[in-house]
Amino acid sequence: MGDLAVLSAEEFRRLCDFLYRRTGMAFTDRKQYYVERRIAERMAATGAGSFATYFSLLRIDVEGEVERLVNAFTVNETYFYREEHQLRCLTADLITDRLRVGRAGQAIRIWSVPCSTGEEPYSIAIWLLENWPMVDRYEIEIVGSDIDTGVLEKARSGLFGKRALMRLSPALVEKYFAPDGPDAWKILDDLRESVRFSRVNIVEPLETRPYGHFDVIFCRNVLIYFDDASRRIAAENLYESLAPGGYICLGHSESMSRITPLFDVRRFADAIVYQRPAESTHG
Amino acid sequence: MGEARKRVMVVDDAALVRLYVRETLEQAGFDVDEAMNGIEALEKLLTSAVDLLIVDVNMPQMDGFTFLETVRCQELPLASTPALITSTEAGPRDFAAARAAGANFYLVKPVSREKLAQFAAILCGTEA
Repeated sequence: MGDLAVLSAEEFRRLCDFLYRRTGMAFTDRKQYYVERRIAERMAATGAGSFATYFSLLRIDVEGEVERLVNAFTVNETYFYREEHQLRCLTADLITDRLRVGRAGQAIRIWSVPCSTGEEPYSIAIWLLENWPMVDRYEIEIVGSDIDTGVLEKARSGLFGKRALMRLSPALVEKYFAPDGPDAWKILDDLRESVRFSRVNIVEPLETRPYGHFDVIFCRNVLIYFDDASRRIAAENLYESLAPGGYICLGHSESMSRITPLFDVRRFADAIVYQRPAESTHG
Repeated sequence: MGEARKRVMVVDDAALVRLYVRETLEQAGFDVDEAMNGIEALEKLLTSAVDLLIVDVNMPQMDGFTFLETVRCQELPLASTPALITSTEAGPRDFAAARAAGANFYLVKPVSREKLAQFAAILCGTEA
């Protein structure tokens, strides 16, 4: 491994500009060290001897380099039953409310985006099995999406380490996972089958357009990576992906009201969530 | 010394529902097989018999009623395997269609874990 690539102010600006246009991720000067570390990783991996060489590889997107760089940037640490209060809210209030509107045999659709290595969408499935007495009554569709194809592969494999399972009781781990080598557990096939995974960039309307009519979207801790403009685009894309009256759950430090007035704020016993108004006035 | 565990096959296209049934019945002391539609269920049954079928109605490839009718046309003892239909439909016509297809009992979804275990025991003849 060579030395860390130290970018000049001009190189850093050009790179950020490029990343912003391609992915919506915005980095301020204070993030330069963080960005440089990833660039150094990717330069070593591609054998690029200078930033200029690497940047041209990136711009021509040699062997999917943009995606590889994005994969290096995205923070993927998560675990099962994270922000459990939102899961409680899902079964106590959100689904019940969504079932009040006539739905003639339509599935309940839930979208976890970004889903990282799958902990969130699988948690939703386990939570429903454990806590929702109607789980056998309605067809449930759970979709997990992420911009990072590497994490999607892991999510599909259904293999998890101890850290990911730390919040699950031993009884739940035993019920829904099988040991797979030292310190690894594999989630049951039926659970793997109950979640569909796909790649999507939520700031790209062309990519989110096929994802419509969700009853509930979990979109936690991703909007914080975007700047105001990308955040607004992402929020509008998410709005379009919800059924009228559908709900979106954000991370605990995030607020939709600061991004867009499109959603109504709903305060339930267990969580504050945002709702696409049932009577759509957007457009 | 207990008797051999009874074997149940759940036939449902929804993976979460299969898991719900499997996990409930395993907890209650049954061994559970799964099939995602009637065709897969038939193939499995022809190679290994079960003590009870728990069958959903609306499934792709082969629905629950067609599947049951097909089972009832097989050789004994397969043809006489007890069958419990579980369905979201609750009309008299649905009950009649299930009976005509050869169902022994019909439960309307949602079926609680207690009820599921209880009816499985009754139909397997192991109820305490």
